[in-house]
Order: sequence, then structure tokens, then C-alpha cells
Amino acid sequence: MSAVGYATPPFAPPGLRTEHLVEKVAIRDLEFFYGDTRALKGISVSLFQGCVTAFIGPSGCGKSTLLRILNRMYDLYPKQRASGHVALDGENILSPAQDLNLLRAKVGMVFQKPTPFPMTIYENIAFGLRLYDRLPKSELDDRVRDALVRAALWDEVKDKLGASGLSLSGGQQQRLCIARTVAVKPEVILFDEPCSALDPISTAKIEELIAELKADYTIAIVTHNMQQAARVSDFTAFMYLGELVEFGDTSKIFTTPDDRRTQDYITGRFG
Amino acid sequence: MKPNGRRPVVDLALESGSAAPFRHQRDRARILQRLRLGDIAFRHLTRSAAILVLLILGGIIASLVHGAWPALQTFGFGFLTSEVWNPVTEKFGAVAPIYGTLVTSLIAMLIAVPVGLFIAMFLTELCPMWLRRPIGIAIELLAGIPSIIYGIWGLFVLAPFLQQYVQPFIIDLFGNIPLLSDLFAGPPYGIGVLTAGLILAIMVLPFITSISRDVFEAVPPVLKEAAYGLGCTTWEVSRYVVLPFTRVGVVGGVMLGLGRALGETMAVTFVIGNAHRVSPSLFAPGTTISATIANEFTEAVGDLYTSSLIALGLILFVITFIVLAAARLMLMRLDARVGH
Amino acid sequence: MALFVNRRRRDRLAKGMAIGATVFGLAWLVLILAVLLWKGFSGLSLAVFTQMTPPPGSAGGLLNPIVGSLIMTAVAVAIGTPLGILAGTYMAEYGRYDKLTIVVRFINDILLSAPSIVVGLFIYEVMVAQMGHFSGWAGAVSLAVIVLPVVVRTTEDMLILVPDSLREAAASIGLPRSLMIRKVAYRAARAGMVTGVLLAVARISGETAPLLFTSLNNQFWSSNLNAPVASLPVVIFQFALSPYRDWQQLAWTGALIITIAVLALSIIARTLTAARKSS
Repeated sequence: MSAVGYATPPFAPPGLRTEHLVEKVAIRDLEFFYGDTRALKGISVSLFQGCVTAFIGPSGCGKSTLLRILNRMYDLYPKQRASGHVALDGENILSPAQDLNLLRAKVGMVFQKPTPFPMTIYENIAFGLRLYDRLPKSELDDRVRDALVRAALWDEVKDKLGASGLSLSGGQQQRLCIARTVAVKPEVILFDEPCSALDPISTAKIEELIAELKADYTIAIVTHNMQQAARVSDFTAFMYLGELVEFGDTSKIFTTPDDRRTQDYITGRFG
Repeated sequence: MKPNGRRPVVDLALESGSAAPFRHQRDRARILQRLRLGDIAFRHLTRSAAILVLLILGGIIASLVHGAWPALQTFGFGFLTSEVWNPVTEKFGAVAPIYGTLVTSLIAMLIAVPVGLFIAMFLTELCPMWLRRPIGIAIELLAGIPSIIYGIWGLFVLAPFLQQYVQPFIIDLFGNIPLLSDLFAGPPYGIGVLTAGLILAIMVLPFITSISRDVFEAVPPVLKEAAYGLGCTTWEVSRYVVLPFTRVGVVGGVMLGLGRALGETMAVTFVIGNAHRVSPSLFAPGTTISATIANEFTEAVGDLYTSSLIALGLILFVITFIVLAAARLMLMRLDARVGH
Repeated sequence: MALFVNRRRRDRLAKGMAIGATVFGLAWLVLILAVLLWKGFSGLSLAVFTQMTPPPGSAGGLLNPIVGSLIMTAVAVAIGTPLGILAGTYMAEYGRYDKLTIVVRFINDILLSAPSIVVGLFIYEVMVAQMGHFSGWAGAVSLAVIVLPVVVRTTEDMLILVPDSLREAAASIGLPRSLMIRKVAYRAARAGMVTGVLLAVARISGETAPLLFTSLNNQFWSSNLNAPVASLPVVIFQFALSPYRDWQQLAWTGALIITIAVLALSIIARTLTAARKSS
């Protein structure tokens, strides 16, 4: 079953069973330009609900660019534009009529470098909540706690909610950013190389977190760490020089990929 | 319920009916809609404030031209060539103030630029590390002292000193040399064009020093090391490597300093002597545009008098605008080259 | 060998001149501050802060000029700071890549170094001539015109320093632009912006020229801003140029007070900058 208005995903290599899955985000013929440079060429891919989709590829292949289109982050900068179709629950988010703030509340993002706001831990999370709801203090407290619990950070910070967000360690800051993102109840969460600035133990904790979060959200993760992609994701997309080379089941991509280039990348011949 | 007490969104949805997520989004859309108006208003507010800056400049030019119009109409170009300044007969000419402004600024730059460059060289090449910050702070203190302090210090300390010891000595020294004796002719008033130039030099000095120091410090160390490695002396490195590399920045800084010197009022007013004439001697009293306006504006009786003073202000503004704009353009080019 | 000796001689000469120049520059600072302290201090007493300016020949203080300066400075900051912050915000946030911003930045930098006496003439034409009389309001507005470019410049510089990643993080939870600026960017740039305001205050504390024909001067107690107001720099100007001994003494003391205020503000601003850098 696919999302309203779109045909089944164009790729249906044998073995990829998608009938039981809902296509949450449908990307078709996506093109992206930095000024005159064409960074993404005719990308078509799907993000399925309740699944983690990993985007891998060598530096500069366009995977972060693709991710940043899904919440129209590129709109903050001049001379960057996208064309094609990107549908979230059937609605084209590239249309100029799309309310960007609403979109970004639905599609959350966790960045490579942890960026807590210059506020207390409590405020970092309450900040986004106050935007949308007039909540009494007790309910606000509950929502904050809920977000921190989901991000597996509650036990570590429950006694110091008044401390500055910047006083936490790198891994904790990143989990705070995750808590901040889930607090506003998005439907899709985008992770842009979330662990590349962290130590191995924090990385493991966050990978665990992603595995738990996927039950409730649709997740896309960009990573240059292939082992991480293999561990964490259900589907993997390999990108190269702005094109989508191959997309499918993670297990298949990493064992018997169809495309020669995919094979070369995962065996370390380049990138 | 999951083991650690978390409730998935799906459960929430099932609980309050499947309409809950939609209603949630609808509420959210409504709130964002309301915020949008404030968002757009803020954007327009900030844009208007930015335009205000332009309006102020426009306002300054417009009001100066408007106020100076009667004088400009009456005297025409003669205003720029006449030395006469007679409130009684209502004949005004700008030659003496313009001359004074240019000469005092020139003297100030002739002293402040070499001294400032040498201090910058000292701070970047010769000064021991522990001394750098204190001296840097001292330079900034000098820059922060308000100009009126320089003025009264000049009037009560420097001018009498020059009058008693320095000026008689120089007048005698150059007494018989044809050109210099005119340049340094007596009597020793103490106050005068040279004194004003000297005070202005001390005022502009910290400015030139700190800009030069900043530009010198931006020279990539590898460049200097390459020169030192060839056996160049400190002086040779400064003269043949650092200075050419920082040329545009230094010139920009010098022109900014010049712009300030031209417009300086209080430091000069106390010590220039306020005489509306051009004399060849640097020891003679004179006047500058800003000193004239400061001294005479509130006493000016008659529209033509006031208008002439405003005309002087307009001339000053045009001169400083040109100098400052040229300096800015140079510094912008420097920024572009460095890659900002 | 002769060439080397020549080069070394030139090098020594240059080094000597560099040291000499530094001593020269520092000597002036010492001379000025020393005289200021000595002459100003000897007139310093409680009376200076509690009594009004006297007619020549009697004892008195500087109460009304000090109060007048404080009031006009406060009003100037109240007018110039919000406008400056808003303009700087447009230049750093909404219009960062705009042509308008390039022009405004250029013009702003020129206004920053423009002769302050010209600002006085401008306000004279626009306010004093129109209102028909000198006033403290005119004086405060002319000071505000000097405050504005300083605040615009520091606000823009400080906001540009805020990393884009912070802005993106705020955008990613759906925060509208104006809220992101007000609640995140301002908070991150707060210390720098406060420093900018302090520097602007230090700058206008000693400004005399623009006040000469806007707020004029007032011998008596003046808290009515709609009339001429006494200010410390203008009083110093008047008293220093007079032939009366006590007036000259008061001028020195007033000069000392202004200098101490300016230096104190600079030190506070510098401490704030250092604290921000270390955090």
C-alpha cells in the first residue's frame, strides 16, 4: 500500500517487499541546484513509515543535501533551489504554498554537531513546546520529562534540569537535541551524521535510541559509517555524484548489491 | 506500555480516536498562522530601521544644503576663494578655515603615520610577549580619551610649554634660512596652527597604530619566516614583506585617520587661535572649519552669517565623506582579497 | 661585507626608531593622564557633586552639568539602541545577502566616523530651528545620531558570529524566523551587544561639538528637556576658555570625571568581552 496519489515506488527489484509498508515520504525526480551547479540528479526514493532508511555514499555525493530538502532547510539560504516532487503524506512539500514552520514541526532534524540552545536543559525542550501549546506548568513538566525519557537522557539529567544545556558532554548534548526534536511530536526524524562528532560509547547509545524510536517515527539517517548503516537501518540508499545508484533492503545492499559501484564502495575500493 | 514507561504515538492515537493526530496538526497550523503576522511585522520593522540609516545620511545632506543655500547663492564660488570673514559687512569666505583644516590635518598625518607604523612594527616584531597586552591597552586608553581633554591639556600645558621653550628656539634656529624662516616666523604665541596639528597628531596616533597593528598581525607567519630564513633583518622584513602585503589595509587605515582628523573639533578649537587668516607661518594662529563653527555659531547674528557657517559645515562634510568613502572602498577591496 | 654592515646599521636604526616611537606615544599618554589627575584631583570634593555651577568668583560645583549629561545620555541611548539593534538585525539576519545591506553597511561606516559637529548642525536645522529654541531633547537626539551607527555595527558583527547551526536547530523545530532571532540569536549574541552599547555610551560621554548648538547650556538647575540643558562637556568648554581661576579649576575637575567615566566603561566592556571569550 502506498501513499495517496502516487503509484507504487518505481523500484521494485525482486525481493523488496513493500506491500505491507506505508510510503510516508515519496521523492520523485528530485533535482537540486547550488547556484548553477546541479547537485542532485533525478532522485527517486521512498521513506517508509516505521522504518529507518540510511543514505550512504562518498563525501560530496549529495546525501546531506537530500536530507536537508526534506525539511526545506535550504530555504534559509539564497541561490539554492529544488525541483521535482517530494510528498509527505501525499502533499508536495516543495510547493511555495507549503508553510515551512508547519513542515519543520512535522519533520524534525538532528544535526552533525550537537547544538543545544544557550538555555537550561529544561528550557531547551520547553522552548519548542511553549510555541504550540498553552500548557500548565505540571503538563509542561510531564512533556519535558517524556521527551528526555524517550531520548534516554532523563536519568542522567533529572537532578539538574536547571543547568545550562552546554554543560553536558557531547553525547549527552546530542541526546538533548534528540529530546528537543521529539518533544514537538514530529512524524519524521532526519539524522544528519548524528554520531560523527561523538565517541564510540555515545555513538552506541544513540544507535540504540534510533532503533527504539523507529517504532513511532519514520527515520532517515545520513552516515559515512557503513557499519552503522548496516546495524541501524532497514533500507539503504547508495548515492554517488548526485545520483541514486541503488536502493533496497539493507541486508541485500550490504551482501549482494546489484550495481558495481555499490559493490566497490562497500568493499572500500573508494570513498 | 514499553518497559521503561514510554508510550508510543500509536497508542496515544488509538486512545483518543484516530482523529487526534489530525486535530493536533490543525491546532498547530492555526497557531503558526497567528504567529505569522507578528513574524512579517518584525521583518518590516527591522527593514525600516535599516533604511533609517540611509535616511539620516540623506537628512544630513539635505539640511546642510538647505541651511547653506542663502550663503551659497549670495557668494557663489567666491565663497571658496575669498579670505574675507567680516560679520559686520556680512562678507564671508571659506579660505582661512579650509586652509587651516587641511594644514592641521596634514601636519597631524605627517607625524602620526610614521610614528604609528613604527609603533605597530614594534608591537608585532620586537616587543616581548608579556609587554604586548599592556601597551595595547595603553594605546586604547589614548584612543578613548575624549577630545575635549586633549583640548584643555593642549591649551594649559602644551601651548605654554611650546611658547616658552620650543618656539623661540626654533624661530632663532631658522631665523636666517630663507624658506624656513617664513615657515617658522614669530612671535611665539604658543597656540597656532602647528600646535593644533601636534595635538591632532596625538589624537590620531592610537587610531593609526591599532589599525596598522591589526593589519600587520594578519600577515601569514610563513611569509615572514620565509624572509627571515633568507637572512633578512627585521627592518628588511617589515619594509619589503610586511608593508607591501598590508599596503591596502594601511592606506585604508590612514585615510580613516585622516577623515577623523579633518572633522575633529574640540581638540583643535582650544589651541588654534581662531584667527581668520592664512599666514605662511606655522606658528601663527589660524582657524579650522570645525573650530570656526564651534566658536561662532551661537553668537552668529543674521541669517547670512549663520548660513555661511552651515556652508562651512557642508564643505567639511563633503571633504570627509569623500575621504571616508575612499577609505571604505579600499578596505572592502582588502576584505574581498582576503576572502571574506 | 660592507653591504652587510650597512644593512645591520639600517636595521639597528629602524629598531631604535620603533622603540623611540613607542616611548614617544606612551609618553604623551602619561603626560596627559598625569596632568589631568593632578589638576583635576585637587579640585575634587563633595561640593563638586552637590553644588551647581557658580557665577565667576564664587565657589560651586558641577551638579547640574553632571545631571544634565546623565539625562541626555540616557535618552540618547534609549532612542539609539533599539533602532540600532533593529537595523543591525535586518543586516545580519533577513537581509544578509541583500544589496540594501551592502549600501547600509557602507553608509553606516561613514556615519561612524563623520564629524560630530556636522551632526550638531543637522539637528540644529531639523529640531532647534523648527522648534524655535534650544532644548535638551535636541541635544539628546544629536547624541542618539552618534550612538546609532555604533550599535548598528556591533549588533551586525555580533549576530553574524552566531553560528548558522544554531539557527538551523531552531528552524528545525518549526520556530518562526522572528522568534528564532529574538529568543535564540539575541540570547547568543547578548554579551557582545551589551558591550557595543557600553562603547557607544563611552563615545558620547565626551562629545561636546553636537551639544554646542542643540542643548546649549544652562547656568541653573535644568531638568526640563524642553529648554537648554547644562552638560559637562559644554561647561568644561565654557569654563576652560574663561579667564577665571575657579572656573578653570572646575573645568579640570569635570574633565577628570569624564575621563574616569569613559575609562571605567571601557574596562567593563573589555571584561565582558574577556568573560565571553573564556566561556
